[in-house]
Amino acid sequence: MTGASARPGAGLDWRPAWLPEINLKRREEIAAWLFLTPFLIFFAVFIGRAMFAAVQMSFYDWHALRPSRPFVSFENYEELLRDDVFWFALKNTIVFTAMTVAGTTVVALAAALAVTQPVRQANFFRVLLYMPSLFSVGAVGLIWVWLLNSQFGVINYGLSFFGIRPVNWLGDPALVLPALSLTTIWWAFGFPMLIFIAGLQGIPEHLYEAARIDGANARQLFFNITLPLLRPTILFVTVTGVIGHFQVYGQPFIMTNGGPGRSSYTVIFYFYHTAWASFRMGYGAAVAVALAVIMAVVTVVQFLVISRRVEY
Amino acid sequence: MAMMHRRRAWQDRFWAYLVLVALSLFVFLPMLVVFSQSLMTNMEVTRWPPQIVPVNPTLFNYNDVLTRQDLRLDLWLRNSMVAATGHTLAVLVICAPAAYAFARLRFRGSNALFAILLLTIMIPSQVTLIPNYLLMRDLKWLDSFNALIFPGAANVFGVFLLRQFFMQIPQELEEAAVMDGAGYLRRFTQIVLPLSSNALTALAIFVFLGHYNDLFWPFIVTNSLETRTLPVGLTILNSAYGMQYRPMVLAGAVLSTIPILIVYIIFQRRIIQGVTLTGGMGGR
Repeated sequence: MTGASARPGAGLDWRPAWLPEINLKRREEIAAWLFLTPFLIFFAVFIGRAMFAAVQMSFYDWHALRPSRPFVSFENYEELLRDDVFWFALKNTIVFTAMTVAGTTVVALAAALAVTQPVRQANFFRVLLYMPSLFSVGAVGLIWVWLLNSQFGVINYGLSFFGIRPVNWLGDPALVLPALSLTTIWWAFGFPMLIFIAGLQGIPEHLYEAARIDGANARQLFFNITLPLLRPTILFVTVTGVIGHFQVYGQPFIMTNGGPGRSSYTVIFYFYHTAWASFRMGYGAAVAVALAVIMAVVTVVQFLVISRRVEY
Repeated sequence: MAMMHRRRAWQDRFWAYLVLVALSLFVFLPMLVVFSQSLMTNMEVTRWPPQIVPVNPTLFNYNDVLTRQDLRLDLWLRNSMVAATGHTLAVLVICAPAAYAFARLRFRGSNALFAILLLTIMIPSQVTLIPNYLLMRDLKWLDSFNALIFPGAANVFGVFLLRQFFMQIPQELEEAAVMDGAGYLRRFTQIVLPLSSNALTALAIFVFLGHYNDLFWPFIVTNSLETRTLPVGLTILNSAYGMQYRPMVLAGAVLSTIPILIVYIIFQRRIIQGVTLTGGMGGR
């Protein structure tokens, strides 16, 4: 800081003679707010205002096509809690999220462990395995709805070699969520894989060497060194995974339209239908606020479960 | 001892190769099958057992999907590119100065403001969707690039990421510039920004891909055939032709992935580093 105090803002003096001199601290403060202004304008309009408006709207019977919007206090929330369709959608979403997060985490960890071994072409494998993550959900949906096709799909063809009769993946209420989950694992395991690779590279090699000298086998190394030291990474991967996959919408939208029946109907689907198909914006806002509350609770629970016992 | 070690290393590697080959097949086979079947006729793909290798490969489906009156893949691709590029630029232009203010400048309320911003990251984006949709409607921005580019330009995660990065740049570099009489703007644009190209690229990749692949928001703020983006267009393609003309739909899916795959193959190292950097710092 010596330079700054020796010649305070020299050469910077754009100040016309008639303006009073501004001291350095004040100048820094003005500069800071000028730097922040564009961001704050956009933040205020599209995030701050929108959040307040959503909470406010959720207390009104705000219908897009009706001019009168009466205040209904907590009625939207009460209706939401009574609506079986919402609970059904929530149950589907939780089941899908649990399967998908478990699946992506295991596959991503396996891939990361393998790719950080001294294998040849490690970079090739990393690039290939991350590739599906770049596709849009539209392309992923189009690919997998066809692979899973009960009549002509290659997945059923592959299973036929093991004597398994054609399975109606997307038409069977019991199988549709696992099928969408498999699709999503294929699509999304690349991101947690890269995070796990970074996490694994952060574990000091000498810990493994010391354990090997003590005669530890690969299993023991994994369960006593890798897994405990990877706990913060696992926490991050599962928390972001739950937040991301809880908002599932594209896969069922494209592949099943929520069906068969309502077997793959999700919370975001429900949100979309209330606001943009039934035009009930106030009720939709209540759904969104409820979603935020649910996700906050889930995140806190995850933190408590995974971050307990982190001493090494 | 050495022999045991070598055997163990070989065993470890054997398992690693096994896992990698299995996962590569899991990732690659679906793409291969879909590409292969996009070169077949409608008759060929609706046969049992399914054909994997086309007998007479044809580009007919590609021609078909690009020339049908009710599909505009060319426009959808252009819209996606323009919107994602515009949005990415908006995010960088808006977030980088804000991040600099949080990283380097002292002002009253700095910590409190930053804490408030971070809190909003925890709130899912759906909460803002309805009010922002109504705002787009009232501004007559529906069906325009504005609706795709500007909402979400105040990317809090972007500010967080860039702030972390700016704070790692040695303060002495800026002090040297102060000696030369540089003001805050010059310190920011001529010293901090050029030294942050890694972080800026990482953020740009992250924002671009997220926007390019988004489905929900473009789906609700566009409604004419010409203004749709590629992911929305693919859902239209699927619902219109998924039943009768499957190979054409597959051709559309393949075409939609080609631009992103080209970018990926050229910049794979940067993209993978970028995803790791942004992920390691915050979230997706």
